[in-house]
Amino acid sequence: MSGKFEITNMNMKLGTTLKIKGKIADDTDSFIINLGQGTDKLDLHFNPRFSESTIICNSLDGEWGQEQREDHLCFSPGSEVKFTVTFERDEFKVKLPDGHQMTFPNRLGHSHLSYLSVQGGFNISSFKLD
Amino acid sequence: MACGLVASNLNLKPGECLRVRGEVAPDAKSFVLNLGKDSNNVCLHFNPRFDIHGDINTIVCNSKDGGAWGTEQRESAFPFQPGNVAEVCISFDQTDLTIKLPDGNTFKFPNRLNLEAINYLAAEGDFKIKCVAFE
Repeated sequence: MSGKFEITNMNMKLGTTLKIKGKIADDTDSFIINLGQGTDKLDLHFNPRFSESTIICNSLDGEWGQEQREDHLCFSPGSEVKFTVTFERDEFKVKLPDGHQMTFPNRLGHSHLSYLSVQGGFNISSFKLD
Repeated sequence: MACGLVASNLNLKPGECLRVRGEVAPDAKSFVLNLGKDSNNVCLHFNPRFDIHGDINTIVCNSKDGGAWGTEQRESAFPFQPGNVAEVCISFDQTDLTIKLPDGNTFKFPNRLNLEAINYLAAEGDFKIKCVAFE
């Protein structure tokens, strides 16, 4: 995929679970899944980095917050994967492809998410809101 | 009509299929799925009308080229019901778009814009998108 896959005007409320399936590119170092209000207001920035064997999460509210690192990189370039993100009042629960769950605080305190983007070496094949 | 989800940079290529599933509102009057390059260049404006503009249970299709609407095409098939989940699958080639309706029947709409890729999807009206898949 060239360019940035982007969804605006999404209606993701508290309690909603987003499932994203796709294929990680063969030759990629990293990819990003962003959820928030728009490009400069991100409630969850989810960034696996293969070169550093880590997953970096952060929030963006005009400026970046404090990075949170999770050294549970259970997937690799070239693989088909599924991520599940549950949006709750206090935190995001992110289920990784192997079932491991990580959390990231809902720092911005929003109760509605309208923006999703996917960048870098991840070719999205489906997304689902439940 | 209320604007719904908008997706960009889909990069859907000829032969691939876009599957959209969603919920039709219980009091639905009409909904729209627009597919194309952007909001002014729409190769398929897919508009099931339950009861609006004098149309009852009719699918109206059109295209928009540089902001200008083309000629409407109407389909008599109408396998949609208010309050139900509905799924449509859309694929395209040089000549036509092929729309597969929830009952499995298909119809074609001419690919008037000759787009090589579909990058834009927008929903409007009484339809809440739950799932989008690229196949």
